[in-house]
Amino acid sequence: MATTAAIPATGAAHDASSESGLWSWIATVDHKRIGTLYLFTALFFFLFGGLEAFLIRLQLAQPNQHLVSAEFYNQLFTMHGTTMVFLAVMPLSAAFFNYLIPLQIGARDVAFPRLNAFSYWVYLLGGIFITVPIFFQVAPNGGWFGYAPLTTIQFSGGMNIDFWVMGLQILGISSLAAAFNFITTIINMRAPGMTLMRMPMFTWMSFIVQFLLVLAFPPITIALVFLLFDRFFGTQFYAIAAGADPLLWQHLFWVFGHPEVYILILPAFGLVSEILPTFSKKPLFGYHVMVYSGIMIGFLGFGVWAHHMFAVGLGATADAIFAMATMLIAIPTGVKIFNWIATIWGGEVTFTTPMKFAIGLVALFTIGGISGVMHSSAPADTQQTDTYFVVAHFHYVLFGGSIMGIFGGIYHYFPKMFGRYMSEKLGTWHFWLNFVGMNLTFFPMHFSGLLGMPRRIYTYDAGQGWEKFNLASTIGTALLVIATLVFVINFLKSRKGGAPAPNDAWGAGTLEWSIPSPPPDYNFAEIPVVTSRYPLWDLKHPEMTADLAHSGPDAMTITDAHATPVHEETGHKTAAELGIPMPFPTVKPLFTALGIVIMFGGLLFMHLDKFALAMTITLGGATLLVGSLYAWLTSPLE
Amino acid sequence: MATAEHTHEHVHYTATGLDNRKIAIWAFIGSECMLFASLISTYLIYKGRSIVGPFPHEAWTSPAGQVFKPILNIPVTSVSTFVLLMSSLAMVLALAAVENRGKPGYVGTALGNSKLWLATTAALGATFLGFQAFEFTSFVHEGLTIRTNLFGSSFFTLTGFHGAHVTVGVLWLMTLLFIDFKRGLTPKDSLIVDICALYWHFVDVVWIAIFTLVYLIK
Amino acid sequence: MSFFRLRRFAPALIVAAAALTLAACGDQYPNSTFTHFTDNNRIIGALWDRLVFFGTIVFVFVEALLIFTIIKFRKRPGGAPARQIHGNAALEITWTVIPALILVMIAVPTVRAIYKTQAKAPDGSLKVEVIGHQWWWEFRYPELGVVTANELYLPAGRTVNFQLNTRDVLHSFWTPQLGGKRDLITNRTNWLWYTPDSSLAGQVFNGFCVEYCGSSHANMRFRVYTVTADQFASWAKHQAADAAGSPAAAATASVPVAAASVAAKPAAPVVAAANVTAAPAAVEDPGYVFPADKMPAHTVPATPLPSGDRAIAFDESVLAQGSATAGRELITNMANLGKAPCLTCHVVKGEMAMVNNDNARGPNLTHFGSRHTLGGGLFKSDAPTLARWIKNAPHMKPGSIMPTLGAGEFNPVTKQKMASGLDDRQIADIVAYLMSLK
Repeated sequence: MATTAAIPATGAAHDASSESGLWSWIATVDHKRIGTLYLFTALFFFLFGGLEAFLIRLQLAQPNQHLVSAEFYNQLFTMHGTTMVFLAVMPLSAAFFNYLIPLQIGARDVAFPRLNAFSYWVYLLGGIFITVPIFFQVAPNGGWFGYAPLTTIQFSGGMNIDFWVMGLQILGISSLAAAFNFITTIINMRAPGMTLMRMPMFTWMSFIVQFLLVLAFPPITIALVFLLFDRFFGTQFYAIAAGADPLLWQHLFWVFGHPEVYILILPAFGLVSEILPTFSKKPLFGYHVMVYSGIMIGFLGFGVWAHHMFAVGLGATADAIFAMATMLIAIPTGVKIFNWIATIWGGEVTFTTPMKFAIGLVALFTIGGISGVMHSSAPADTQQTDTYFVVAHFHYVLFGGSIMGIFGGIYHYFPKMFGRYMSEKLGTWHFWLNFVGMNLTFFPMHFSGLLGMPRRIYTYDAGQGWEKFNLASTIGTALLVIATLVFVINFLKSRKGGAPAPNDAWGAGTLEWSIPSPPPDYNFAEIPVVTSRYPLWDLKHPEMTADLAHSGPDAMTITDAHATPVHEETGHKTAAELGIPMPFPTVKPLFTALGIVIMFGGLLFMHLDKFALAMTITLGGATLLVGSLYAWLTSPLE
Repeated sequence: MATAEHTHEHVHYTATGLDNRKIAIWAFIGSECMLFASLISTYLIYKGRSIVGPFPHEAWTSPAGQVFKPILNIPVTSVSTFVLLMSSLAMVLALAAVENRGKPGYVGTALGNSKLWLATTAALGATFLGFQAFEFTSFVHEGLTIRTNLFGSSFFTLTGFHGAHVTVGVLWLMTLLFIDFKRGLTPKDSLIVDICALYWHFVDVVWIAIFTLVYLIK
Repeated sequence: MSFFRLRRFAPALIVAAAALTLAACGDQYPNSTFTHFTDNNRIIGALWDRLVFFGTIVFVFVEALLIFTIIKFRKRPGGAPARQIHGNAALEITWTVIPALILVMIAVPTVRAIYKTQAKAPDGSLKVEVIGHQWWWEFRYPELGVVTANELYLPAGRTVNFQLNTRDVLHSFWTPQLGGKRDLITNRTNWLWYTPDSSLAGQVFNGFCVEYCGSSHANMRFRVYTVTADQFASWAKHQAADAAGSPAAAATASVPVAAASVAAKPAAPVVAAANVTAAPAAVEDPGYVFPADKMPAHTVPATPLPSGDRAIAFDESVLAQGSATAGRELITNMANLGKAPCLTCHVVKGEMAMVNNDNARGPNLTHFGSRHTLGGGLFKSDAPTLARWIKNAPHMKPGSIMPTLGAGEFNPVTKQKMASGLDDRQIADIVAYLMSLK
């Protein structure tokens, strides 16, 4: 970073946005602070979920080990899946939605800042709610998919499943509230000239993800409501004696569950689509096709859920339709991979840490994509599903894809968020340990699966042909643990001790790099006017965007006299000095979130036969919810 | 401009020119569509799967010899459906009254009386809820509770969810009515009435789907 | 700027991957899905070969292209500046169409295979009802009157048609070497059929539950013995008979024809029925049992008994004194011990019936002594293991519904210490009786 480190840092300037103290974080409604809170919380849960995975791998390192009991193992794998999906990867993406979307579209905040704070607090409290039981060995134990009837009270009498049902309901509220917020933000808060087809690819992929969230969460909400009613109020939705059909749960769950996969991966695709052009010094290849393929993936993602159910006996015709629909998804996904490679092609590639992770995503996701096509072939899938081959597949997608992309994103945006670079040296160590560890962990799982090892077993006999693959996986996991430690050290050290970063830390082309690092609380002193897809390259490297269509913003859309062409700011004043109205800090969203969690938590006492106590707590929570909501809605934003 | 931004009258620039809340309510309604689609699908999937009665459209004799008549009372529900439909009409008139406050033809006429139409909408909604309460009670008396069978579970949950949505709508309308009495709703407030109206019409449309798929189709 | 070291690592990775692949081919993999032992697995194998063929091409092409690209276009002093290309419609259409064509070449055989494997089973196939329980397998041969558990006998060369049901939660039936899996869904019936090749006679295969089903999901295993048609007929005939020492068995011994006709219902397929009726009907005929010493090591359960401070203490010296007659007494009448008699959960055909096969919660014990495994295929069935199982099953198998019966033992499911219960001597009697049920 010899070239960039010479530029004096501007991030040191202090104003309201760098005000510290616990209160300033609890009451914040600033999207950047909320994004930072999401980042720290989700990283914590990522470490926690990783620890659960490490225990799982230690148990399976050798045949017939009894490091943990069967019951605790079942809690571990349930919570590993639940934690990684709902508490780590989704919120890590949410951290980037929060931090980046307003910056990338040239806005001063999200559409509903207080709703944004609410989403975070619901996520945090819901995450605590669902995680704490594992310390008492009463964690959810029905798998992250929670198939009925195993999760009904007849077969799971304890409170384990109650924590899971309610925890997911709570987390669903957070995701939905955030999705409404970001849809509105992206549709409505774009700076003048920032047409849809000029939006940065990360914002585009995030936009698609918000629609997936809005449409995919209601089915699982309903599935969970049924389970909750069954467990607490004696309804019969999954009661086998009443003739219930267990496939009802599976359909509702996977109508959510498959789009969920794209909810997890598309933000990472977006981040990579920011990183690759930056470090290839080239615009993204085939921008339009990248947008359309993202939309296609999201759209087709709703029509393939039954490929998770090829072994349940849906009938030949249904299997054939879902097999072909699933194969179709490979086409837009493949297009993305080729477009990324074409983005690098002909560029001047510098291998910074974010670039390494981005290239890692392209290389590893390809493997997950290929094994995905293998699953889509329904008869072949009957030999693969519910074995370690599937575990290998989706870890190549979610670890090799989502996590690699997110790590790339963290290294890439760390200078923007904290005004300092992360260490390239430690970053390189992190990447290679991660890359090798990841492959050593998950590649052998292809073999153990195809050689007959079922998923979700806490132990296995010797002599089944699985020992060396399992041992290799466990050694790989140990490497991942070391890799993650290197990352944590790098992350914590660089926040205060990293090399200072200028506004435009990497020579990128999008709006977020035109403002100081870290940005002031109002983001843009003046709302920029955008004339092309890479406004900052227009400014600094006009030759890079000379071939792109440019136009002034449509006169109809400029209503703000403040709008000026983009320029790179060099220093900043406070919002008050500039006369920019900022939202008031408030804890009302926090108390509203608390009310929701108390409401659900109170119900738990029903299973301890304390009906009066349960009703008291639940009604207390409801009162807090309504009261805080009323106070929130009747107080002005700014 | 800098000074204008300090005043409360300041209107934020938006890319579409629409208010943020209007976009958000449409996203919310899209989500709600999936919610009710899931509930209605469940009802339809479980239709005819109940092992014991009572059933929606057929009589059932229990092993003990007790006879249960078909549960659904279509004439009564037709009336409540009509009531809910009329509430949508009143909602349209309430919004028009707020939007056109002070315009000729609205001043001093019933048409311009937003309080009247908001109250009518809320009252019709409450009447619909009354019908539902009557329906639920009579079903319980006829031997169908939410625990009885798959039909009972899916029926009460579906219609209960809808009823909860109507309840929220009635409370929302009464809040608007309260504001109207307190300070009067002006054309500047059209948006908050408009958003409530969108929600109310949506809840109404969902009921039409439920009435058709659950009650009318055997 | 740190040096990008992919080039240094890539060969090592490729070697590692190749070594793993070689290892996978050269060694013994007793549960491999890459067999061609049945029609079902041959269809899947052909599909798999195609998937691997195209998968490898795509993998090599994409990864090679990626590596080539990042090396060729890395930033070098004096290197060419980046070319500002924004897209290329022709190229983008190409890499949309070519994958689509590859997918068509996968989709067509996939759809064909779906309809082939899910067609109705051929006529004359042997029907086996597979019933899942937490956590053991019940196998019934309705045409032959046989009910057994955790060990499946199949005549090699004949199509077997599995009817899959579950009494509780979801399970999934899988014998990797013989075919794909199919789930057992509550309140639904699923079907799966395949034909083990004639050459498979005399072999044993492992089977697994592959749908998560609770605490002991990992402990829900089974064995498949593929035997000759004659061996199968002999086995089935004996398995259909009443339990040794039961009053009913004593009665039918004098009327052998009646026993045979019970076993061979009129609706039974010709081959099996003919064999059963043709065989001598003497009850003393022990019937064919797969020889335990011929079981390959990987099919012999290897779960260690709880040891150390978790061990279940049992005085093995009393086993030799066990009396089958006294054991039979205990099994059929344990009420005097303040315990539910075994027969409230288990069926022993020919003995007093407290439950029938459809509502029995435990495995049918009629010919328990002819089985080689115990506890859902988890343990070897021998006297010391069985004794400990009876003493404290939930301690040996997490979540087991079979209660703790030994006096003074702690039941980990109910979290209670058994004040009263069986002493070691009584358990030895029960072991002697169960082992006598050949």
